[in-house]
Amino acid sequence: MRAILESIGKAVNDGLAWAGGMTVMFVQAVLSGMRRPLGIYDIFYQIVALGIRSIPLATLMGIFVGMALTWQFGEALMGFGAKNAVGSAAALALVRELVPTIMALTVGAKIATGMTAELGSMKVSEQIDAIASLGADPVKKLIWPRLAAATVALPLLCVYGNVLALGGGALIADTVFDVPAGYFYETYVDELYPMDYISGLVKATTFGMLTGIIGCYQGFQTKFGTEAVGISTTNTVVATSVTIIIMDFVLTMIFLPVG
Amino acid sequence: MTAVFELRNLFKAFGANVIYEDMNLEVEQGETFTIIGGSGMGKSVCLKLMIGLLPYEKGHILFKGQEVGDMNREQLRELRRHVSMVFQGGALFDSMNVFENVTYALREHTKMSDQEMLERAKECLDMVGLGYDPDIMYRFPAGLSGGMRKRAALARSIAIKPEVILYDEPTTGLDPANSKRIGEMIKKLQRELHVTSIVVTHDMPIAFGCSDRVAMLWDKKFPFIGSAEEIEHSEVPEVREFVQGIFREDKDD
Ligand SMILES: Nc1ncnc2c1ncn2[C@@H]1O[C@H](COP(=O)(O)OP(=O)(O)O)[C@@H](O)[C@H]1O
Ligand SMILES: [Mg+2]
Repeated sequence: MRAILESIGKAVNDGLAWAGGMTVMFVQAVLSGMRRPLGIYDIFYQIVALGIRSIPLATLMGIFVGMALTWQFGEALMGFGAKNAVGSAAALALVRELVPTIMALTVGAKIATGMTAELGSMKVSEQIDAIASLGADPVKKLIWPRLAAATVALPLLCVYGNVLALGGGALIADTVFDVPAGYFYETYVDELYPMDYISGLVKATTFGMLTGIIGCYQGFQTKFGTEAVGISTTNTVVATSVTIIIMDFVLTMIFLPVG
Repeated sequence: MTAVFELRNLFKAFGANVIYEDMNLEVEQGETFTIIGGSGMGKSVCLKLMIGLLPYEKGHILFKGQEVGDMNREQLRELRRHVSMVFQGGALFDSMNVFENVTYALREHTKMSDQEMLERAKECLDMVGLGYDPDIMYRFPAGLSGGMRKRAALARSIAIKPEVILYDEPTTGLDPANSKRIGEMIKKLQRELHVTSIVVTHDMPIAFGCSDRVAMLWDKKFPFIGSAEEIEHSEVPEVREFVQGIFREDKDD
């Protein structure tokens, strides 16, 4: 019993230390970002690099999540003889919840692990120390542009994913459930209020920020040796997915107060 | 003689792993000072402490009388303008070509024009013996041999014209010819740029061939410090064993 409590205590402690260390790094990164020069070029470069490299994955995720969800709803609504409402039903679930979350869990995790692997191998080969020893600030040079880029890129990819999910949904509605694509589109867009888009984008932005800081933090925390890079990259996958799912729940509570 | 670096009663630990305890060390202006000692004992840590890459808990590290641990961001930048480090694996930036690597500190510290930087980069590559190949500037680290990488890293460290250069195992992993070349280069930089050099090495020919003084790390401090001559022919058992043990290893290769 005691051993169990102790190990729970240690896990909580480690978790808090991790979150604390990451918060400190986040603040440092934002502060460094405000110092001149602003490093706009570095940020832009990262946005392009992260964004472009994620497009194939984002495309697949967008289309398939739209198709699968529409199929599910179509099937369920057909039981009530209300399959024409499939557009309205799919719209909210996709825009508010599924697209941002699925994008963050796949594209976001991919972005974060990429950062951890890159920065981790720089850490192991002392390139991060070298940046500092040459008079530059590694947080400003490496973390700030990646954090900023992930925060911008994920919402953009999310918008793109939304369009594709709508397309995928329309395809299924039309071919499987005989609901015309045009009608699906109209009911879909009709159902959405500005707040729905906003909540989706706020989620995507938050997830982008989280994946960016987790990916960078894990990279900088990498210990010695090349196997250490593998370990911190694996941890990044777990850390981003857990953090995103919890944060998704928190944001859903904030945006959808019951009653 | 004035001391460039003074380390006094230094204590450094990573958690329970104590690296230095009541350690003292002094490096004089203009000398080549070599640190020898077993693997994992803290030689690299010593160099990183000197340029403020690692914090220390107790004691003092003074660069020209100024406490490194108390320096703010600007003072650290200033320190690193005068003291540069050559990392063990070279630590060249993979994403940049040799020119961008070599001129990195110039872009951070100065407002040189591209033309001036090009001149300086050529000069530095010349100095480390890479000047024969004009294409080298535009190659990436992945396309260089181990010896070339170390020399390019050295060029990057001298580009800003430092007063002190810290070398972390500059010859490890190189063949004897390349090792010898690096040794010559350390002497040449000392002669031509009048730099103070602090060299961490396992390579006894480098230790005794290039340095004025040698210190051996033992039991979390530097109990054995002397001229290269004195350490090479020391009668102290620990030193003799270490120095000769290394020689034996070398012959086995
Ligand atoms: N940043 C660090 N965090 C924790 N431990 C470290 C760190 N840097 C070095 N160490 C530990 O300090 C000890 C000395 O390392 P190092 O100075 O690299 O040895 P060497 O004498 O071979 O250069 C090792 O036990 C290493 O694990
Ligand atoms: Mg070392």
